[in-house]
Amino acid sequence: MIEVVGLNMTFGGLTQSGGSVEALRDVNLRIEDNEFLTVLGPSGCGKTTLLRAIGGLVTWNSGEIRIDGRAVTGPGPERAMVFQNVALLPWDTVLSNIAFGLELRGMAREDRERKAMELVDLVGLSGFERRMPRELSGGMQQRVGLARALAVEPKVLLMDEPFGALDEQTRRILQEELIRIWERTRTTVVFVTHSMDEAVLLGDRIALFSARPGTVDEVLRVPLPRPRSRDIGSIERSAEFVAIRSRLWERLREMQPDLRRPAPVARIAS
Amino acid sequence: MTVAAKGVRATATGRFRPPAVPAGAVSLLVGALGWEALGWLWQVPFFPPLSAVLGRLVEMVGEGKILGNLAQSLSDLAIGFSISVVFGITIGVLMGAYSKVEAALGIYVNALLTAPSLVFAPVFFSMFGLSRATIVAVIVMYSIFIIIVQTTAAMRVAPGDLLEMGRSYCAPRSVLFRRIILPAATPLIMAGVRLGMGRAVKGMINGEMFIAVVGLGKLVIDAGRRFDAESVLAVLIVIVVVAMAAVKLVQLVDARLTSWLPSTARGA
Repeated sequence: MIEVVGLNMTFGGLTQSGGSVEALRDVNLRIEDNEFLTVLGPSGCGKTTLLRAIGGLVTWNSGEIRIDGRAVTGPGPERAMVFQNVALLPWDTVLSNIAFGLELRGMAREDRERKAMELVDLVGLSGFERRMPRELSGGMQQRVGLARALAVEPKVLLMDEPFGALDEQTRRILQEELIRIWERTRTTVVFVTHSMDEAVLLGDRIALFSARPGTVDEVLRVPLPRPRSRDIGSIERSAEFVAIRSRLWERLREMQPDLRRPAPVARIAS
Repeated sequence: MTVAAKGVRATATGRFRPPAVPAGAVSLLVGALGWEALGWLWQVPFFPPLSAVLGRLVEMVGEGKILGNLAQSLSDLAIGFSISVVFGITIGVLMGAYSKVEAALGIYVNALLTAPSLVFAPVFFSMFGLSRATIVAVIVMYSIFIIIVQTTAAMRVAPGDLLEMGRSYCAPRSVLFRRIILPAATPLIMAGVRLGMGRAVKGMINGEMFIAVVGLGKLVIDAGRRFDAESVLAVLIVIVVVAMAAVKLVQLVDARLTSWLPSTARGA
């Protein structure tokens, strides 16, 4: 179980005026074991910052993050991250990239390559294990990123808009694959996205973020049954899907101040 | 002959197609013909035609002047350049990794990078006398600083997202260095080694010309004192070939070490 309690974070001196930016304010969140939580919000709302905090990659001002009761002070072996820009080592083969986390755990080459081969099969990259990352399409690269994270058998998988940079068709394929893999492994997942469809399709619950300062606006339970890997098309046409999606859009639309209330013309002219 | 044959075939198909000869070879051929023609037309002692220079080169090889001196020069080059690579990369890595080391050494390295290295030849001469150590020291002086500077810069090119990925898998600093920082730095380090090789050849010849007791540089000085332009140019050809071969060797090593780079990202 992941508990985020009263988390506050301020970036100091990053703006040109030298002022500070309040990235997160009083974020409270609880993620159960074997739960798939999606974090949805407008861009710049701090959802990625929260994920990096859970990953132990950034420090915060006050509050606490606990995983199974133990406070997070840095990265840990029970967590693994999947990055939006994949972050593969360009000088290593697909297989070595997938085995990178295992290599850091001190596993012998033969063992970690055998383990990595299982992951190659799981993410559908058989035959590509000796290729270099640059020879792969964006979607295949992200499969490698996912396999690298799964290889260390983390208790918590932290995914930072992993499909955000992909074209729509590739994204849908990978969403289906992720659902299929997750329904087999049932790892706890925190998945950050700016796509409403993705948040609903993947998540057991959705934490809706509001921006400036970033905080949890609302947590919604997704009433869609599992397993969802069978027929994603019919899920997307179901009344439940449509209802929760319009609920999300209602809230997100209210968070866009410039859409509701146009800036006064006189002030723009001056 | 082959060019003519290809030209005939091209006209037979009714289309002009440039013959598939590498641009470098064409350029060399034109240069050689131009040199030959200018030599005959000009008729001055300091610019003999290419054929005369090549003839002299064959003579000199026959007299045993070239190969022995070449071997001497190349062994000095190998020793000096190896010292530059080993110490240059080590110092560069330390400067890139520790800001205190850079603060301490940076100003000297940059000063010596721009200083004319031959100025130090008299110093080495008085230290080591008429020995090959003087020439090796000059070669090191010529080539080490560019390698240090490039390596120092190379230590900072590892992408932040890769370092963060490494940290997220709990990689200690030593692993980040070995698995991310160093591989990412390799292309830039090798660029420095390539530049260093060019400078090392210059250092070798300049050092030998200064000491003038051994090597190709001595041959140049001796011939120059006799106003023997044919011999000077013959040795010059040998030097250019040596320099090109040396740089090619570095390029081959570079291509092996950085085969993961897309070919467009590597300097040809």
